[in-house]
Formats: sequence, structure tokens, C-alpha cells
Amino acid sequence: MVTLSSYLIVSAALLGIGVYGLSMKRSAIRILFAIEIIVNAANLNFVAFTRYMNPPQVSGQIMVFYSIAAAAMEAAVGLALILVASRINSTIDVRKLNKLKG
Amino acid sequence: MVTLTVPPDVSFIILAAVTIIGAILALQAKELIYGAVALAISFIGMAGFFASLDAPYLAMLQIAVYVGAIVVLILFTIMLVSREQSENIEGSEPGEGSVGLWLAGLLALSIAGVAALAGPNLPSIVPAANLSISDLGPALTSQYSVPLIILALLISSALLGALVLAKVER
Repeated sequence: MVTLSSYLIVSAALLGIGVYGLSMKRSAIRILFAIEIIVNAANLNFVAFTRYMNPPQVSGQIMVFYSIAAAAMEAAVGLALILVASRINSTIDVRKLNKLKG
Repeated sequence: MVTLTVPPDVSFIILAAVTIIGAILALQAKELIYGAVALAISFIGMAGFFASLDAPYLAMLQIAVYVGAIVVLILFTIMLVSREQSENIEGSEPGEGSVGLWLAGLLALSIAGVAALAGPNLPSIVPAANLSISDLGPALTSQYSVPLIILALLISSALLGALVLAKVER
């Protein structure tokens, strides 16, 4: 029996994987992967909650529609930033991109 | 007409395994490019979740935008960033330990524990699916039209910003 909790547990596992990547990885592209995984976990929660709601509402799916568009935008800007950082500093190691450190 | 029916439990377990193992491989694969492919597989598993939750439009959008656009963009960026810049920067600093692993594990365990404990109180009987793709369009153009316009402006400004950022000065 697939219940709402099953979807929430999968989503929590994805969130954990994403937080691990955010805090432990040093390559900027891997950090972008982790962000996308966390966004996916949030989207799964929205769709699961809106599916189990009685009567079914369309608002959760609309929210995920906006979220997917915003994630695509964020990936475009993030990858442009990574390109510029690699061109200027010749590395994408986030531990070495510390020029703004006072 | 032959219809193939998979029990929902089996399909859920397969989709969960594909999504979670894909996400782990995306972060742990040795080569960055294999990680991007594993990320695409994880996104396809998530599209399967959307389809199983009666959101076929979102499943289509997930494959078109995430697998079709974002992963391809990531692949192009990996090719543009030179190889010596992107490799050999894995591993943690000495003395950093595995704090991130503990943090992520505790966070995921606490949320999953809450979800499992709240299980009996959550709605478990799936109501009849009466949402269709044709319900999304009118909602997008009437009730949720202002966020749609704001999102369009935001996307165009973000794409312009990305273009300006990545422009090569000559």
C-alpha cells in the first residue's frame, strides 16, 4: 500500500542526499547537482500532497509548474557564473573561490 | 488490446530506487560527466513519480525541462570548463571529517521519522482522480495569471543576465 508517508520518506531521503552534497562537495558543478536534487524533493512533496488532498486541488501542480521554470532559470544563471569563475580564477573549487573574504 | 499492469507497490519501489540511486551516483561518480547522466536518470525517476501521482503534464514538463534542457546545459558547461580545472578537487579538507554526512543523515532521518509517525493521521485513501490536463490551463490563465506574467519577466531577465555574464570581452 503506497501511502502519503512513502512519498514523504523518499523526499526526505533526497533532501538528505542534497544537503550532503551541498556541505561536502567542492566542485561548483556538483553543488549545482545537489541544489537540483533538493528542488526535486520539494516538487515531489507538492505533487504528493496535492494528489492526496480531498477533493483534489490544482494549486500544487501549478506551484510545481512555477518551480520547474524557476529551477531552469537558476541552472542557467548558475552555470554562467561557474563559466565566469572558471575563466577568471581557472578553478571551480569553491574552497578556493574566496576573493570576497575580508 | 494488451495492457501491462504493474502493482503500485512494485512500481513505487522501482521508482524510488531509480531516483535515490541516481541522486547518489550524481554526487559520487568519479567523472563529472557520468554524474550528469546519473542526474538525468534520477530526474526520469522523478517524472515517473509524477506520472504515478496522476500529474502527466508535470511528468512531461519534468522530462522536457530537466532532462532536455538542464542536463544538456550542464553537459555543455562540463565540456567548456577545462578538464584540469574540474578534476582532482574531490575529497574533504583534513580535519573536516564527516560533519556533512552526519548533518544530512540526521536531517533526513528526523523528517522521515516525522512523516512515518504522522502516517496514520495523514489522508491515506486516494480520492478518485478527477484532475486532468484541461484543468491546468484555465487555472493558469485566470486564477494564477499574475504569477505567470511575473515568472515570464523573471525568466527573460535571468536569461539576459546569464548572457551578459557569460559574454567574452574582446
